[in-house]
Amino acid sequence: MSVAHVTTAYPPTRGRRMRDVVFRTLSALALLFVVGPSIWLIADVVARAVPHWRWDVLTTVPLGTGGGLENAVLGTLVIMVGVLVIAGTVGVLSGIHFAELSRPRRDGRGGGAVLRTATEVLSGFPSIVLGYVGYVALCVGLHWGFSLLPALIILSLMVTPYIAKSTESALRQVPTNYREGAEALGMSPGYALRTVVIKSALPGIVTGLLIALAIAVGETAPLLYTAGITNNLPSASLIHQPIAYLTYYVWTDYNQPIRSTQYLSFDAALILIVLVLVLLVVSRLLVNRTQRHAEGRR
Amino acid sequence: MKTLVRSLTAGALAVGGLLASASLPASAAPKKIVTCFRLEKNVVHTHRFRGACARGWTKKRPTPNPIAAVKVENPAQANLTETGSTLLYPLWNIWAPAYQAEFPQVSLTTGGTGSGTGIADAASGTVNIGSSDAYLSSTQRSATPNLLNIPVGISYQMIEYNIPGVTAHLNLDGTVLAGIYTGQITKWNDPAIAALNPKVNLPATPIVALHRSDGSGDTFIFTTYLTDTDPAWASKYSYGTTVSWPAIPNALGENGNGGMVSACAKTVGCIAYVGISYLSSVLGNGQTYAALKNGDGQFVLPSVASAAAEAAGFQAQTPADGTISMIDGKIKGGYPIINYEYAIVNKQQSSSSVAQALRSLLEWCIDPSYGQSQQYLGQVNFVTLPTKVIVQSYKQIKQIQ
Amino acid sequence: MGDENVSLPATAAPARRAPRARRAGPFARAAEDGLWRWSARVASIVPLGGLAFVLAVLAVKAWPALKVNGPGFVTRSGWVPGSTYANPVVTDGVAHPVGASYGAWPLIAGTLQTSVIALVVALPISIGTAFALTERLPPWVARPLSFFVEVLAGIPSVIIGLWGVLTLGPFLAAHVYPLVASHVPNVPVLRYFRGPTGYGEGLLTSGLVLGLMIVPIIASTTRDLFLQVPPLPKEGAEALGMTEAEVARRVTIPWVRSGIIGATVLGLGRALGETIAVAMISGSVLGAVAPNIFGTMTTVAATIVSQLDSAATDGTGFAIATLAEAGLVLAVISVIVNVAARVIVNRSSRHVAPVGRG
Repeated sequence: MSVAHVTTAYPPTRGRRMRDVVFRTLSALALLFVVGPSIWLIADVVARAVPHWRWDVLTTVPLGTGGGLENAVLGTLVIMVGVLVIAGTVGVLSGIHFAELSRPRRDGRGGGAVLRTATEVLSGFPSIVLGYVGYVALCVGLHWGFSLLPALIILSLMVTPYIAKSTESALRQVPTNYREGAEALGMSPGYALRTVVIKSALPGIVTGLLIALAIAVGETAPLLYTAGITNNLPSASLIHQPIAYLTYYVWTDYNQPIRSTQYLSFDAALILIVLVLVLLVVSRLLVNRTQRHAEGRR
Repeated sequence: MKTLVRSLTAGALAVGGLLASASLPASAAPKKIVTCFRLEKNVVHTHRFRGACARGWTKKRPTPNPIAAVKVENPAQANLTETGSTLLYPLWNIWAPAYQAEFPQVSLTTGGTGSGTGIADAASGTVNIGSSDAYLSSTQRSATPNLLNIPVGISYQMIEYNIPGVTAHLNLDGTVLAGIYTGQITKWNDPAIAALNPKVNLPATPIVALHRSDGSGDTFIFTTYLTDTDPAWASKYSYGTTVSWPAIPNALGENGNGGMVSACAKTVGCIAYVGISYLSSVLGNGQTYAALKNGDGQFVLPSVASAAAEAAGFQAQTPADGTISMIDGKIKGGYPIINYEYAIVNKQQSSSSVAQALRSLLEWCIDPSYGQSQQYLGQVNFVTLPTKVIVQSYKQIKQIQ
Repeated sequence: MGDENVSLPATAAPARRAPRARRAGPFARAAEDGLWRWSARVASIVPLGGLAFVLAVLAVKAWPALKVNGPGFVTRSGWVPGSTYANPVVTDGVAHPVGASYGAWPLIAGTLQTSVIALVVALPISIGTAFALTERLPPWVARPLSFFVEVLAGIPSVIIGLWGVLTLGPFLAAHVYPLVASHVPNVPVLRYFRGPTGYGEGLLTSGLVLGLMIVPIIASTTRDLFLQVPPLPKEGAEALGMTEAEVARRVTIPWVRSGIIGATVLGLGRALGETIAVAMISGSVLGAVAPNIFGTMTTVAATIVSQLDSAATDGTGFAIATLAEAGLVLAVISVIVNVAARVIVNRSSRHVAPVGRG
């Protein structure tokens, strides 16, 4: 039907040309509506933080209405490392399971429907509900108190599905003939996995890890009720000692009536943006490398 | 230095005793045996004399200075954690370094996470001190009988507003405030407000009623005041850390006291209830606060003096465990919205050294020459605990084992 | 795409022949196989275990509240914790404070309203953006811009909330909302856009900010989908004399329609569960549904974060239980949305692999 309509109206009538112009304008406008506010947002945070930026924010702890964010910066890094260890291990391994080891179904997709569904449901679970469970069951129920371990468990639950998914798709992009070659050489499946498959999927896996870290670093709500807050630097204990993190200060201090306290909020926001940007830029560079790699293959 | 202050106090008392004894008329024979008393190191000594008391002894039993009985123990090395009330958090951050300067062997981690988590954490034993703006309910006490709520300070609440051109302290009462928060009073020149403030030229600015979006002790004491003073509010909304704020178009929920103050600064026509520790911010923003009608019918401005008057009025009624609401008392010159700030502590601590450190810290906090001095409290505009309450708190602290 | 089975046979026997086995003997290699297999198997169970744990905790915690609040919980209005200092009363074997009465309808309504606004805003913008990035712009512009859109997806929501409450909200309240409210005609649906415009915190601001948060999710997925549309049908349509707009409307978008729907529903899931940004921008009114689109309100997620602390002061534990019930309601809504998304995505072409946060 559409074809008939179009062919009879060639060359385009004025109305059709008008509609085309409107469509192009609107799509350009849409792009503007994404890029505009985003630049506004980032510029706004930078403009609030940079004029009052002091480098000792990174080397002092909050004191009264001012001070610095050393506790939160270090706490955030500790949380990142912890999430990387827990969610990274679990997520990558379950990604391997889904991509390589689970029994395939007839339609050629990986099996493990129940595990897969659970992973996907978990990835869409509201983070505050996870935070609630962490507080009620781990901090209060198990008497761990506000501390690092419940925070790590909850954040890891949040991002493990993401890491599993990205690991799985990275592994699936490894050409089948790599595996066949490895098998032809007599490598055992585990040895082939370690030396051939994972190696060539590594950039994709790392990218997924980095983006998952960016997600974890930006979380606020679940941390409020699992990590607590403290002015002290991170301690060695996993439980009983609260730990600071940057998003707390953005959330708590932005509306404090004292300027020097507000600046802490903006400083924390700036540090977070820089941190997330670094993670995302590195992950993008990795993607570019893999894409070049993949294109060369074709 | 602080010991000096203390010995001065003791000295003053001793001098007072001497003067009192000197003013007694010297009695002549016959030599009856009299019982005389003397206060020495704040302990009452008794002695029988033939005829008359010797120098330095009195026939009237002297009252020992109860506060001088509060002694700060010298603890062993221990780690303590505190979390809870965001209203007390700034004070803990002032107290902690001062206490540690004296007792560096005790490390103290402070956290401002909210009264509710403070209580829950103290109950589950994950922190040593849970700070709370509100005392424990009977349900909580029966669930966890080992919890003590120890008053460690007195805070009060101001009603601030942002009305262009009005710098005077308005007179407000519970009925007017309830009218504002239920949307019956929508403009600042409403006759009900004008009737209380005949001398103030009120503009027709619409009122924006701010309330706390997070559950909070501030909401609790504010709505308690409304409940005590306005029957309509009492029957419909009552009081609590959160209430179902009436749905009026000019209502805004703000997070934390800081959020209230900041929002009020940028919202013309606002009214907000704010903890007194934010006083300097409110004044710095160019806003001011109201005088509230107390149970005695007077309009009283919030100040350390008026809050102390209210606290003194409630002193006698304060039970040994400190559980009392001090709202709208019939006290002359008393400001009607004040409350104790509590340290929620478990009697049974994990070890005797932790218990000792905890006792030491809390003793330091309630000692008038240390934690209760205005040197620290003044920074957050808190009021020193009345003598009787300090003694009661001390007795509670002594129960920590 | 060659997405056939690329996995190793799961039952592969441990090494048949090993001409290049270096230091490892057959035993060590078998051990390695087992290690991989078992650790991966255990790891893949963790999300299921975690989910079961979370649901179990929620269900156990919410059970007393479910009994007392009853089905009216999702239709009532009003959030009254009751008198925590009076002696508790017992209903259906559950102790709770006198006068406790919880109704989550305003929260549920707020959650749905903000999410719908977010979708209405985000969907056309995302498709337009994806179109501009794939069809209109030269690669040297499109590539960095695409990356920029993805970066936006990674910006912490608390920072977007910060901007929303400090900058965007006041700006809209001062310059945009009054204009809208005074020019919209007083007819049934649009009447919702009239009335007091508030102070920049409320339903519309929250919806718009949520929209901005989910645009990157929908836009980057849609862009990937557009790139996967084979060039031949598009070129054919152009050869038939279609304008660019007609190619998009009649070829490109229909080609990936179900994928776009899937991505949209994923975005919706994110909007439903968003907590901290909404807690900052919503104006936090618990007891009533917003009277107009500028009105203050709150959502289920924002209520949990702002009420959990004070709920702990309820000695009967009923307030905590009610929040678990609210969490359960939210979880049910999000799970339904997510499952719907999976069904739609799975039914659509194979090559859809949604990216971004779920």
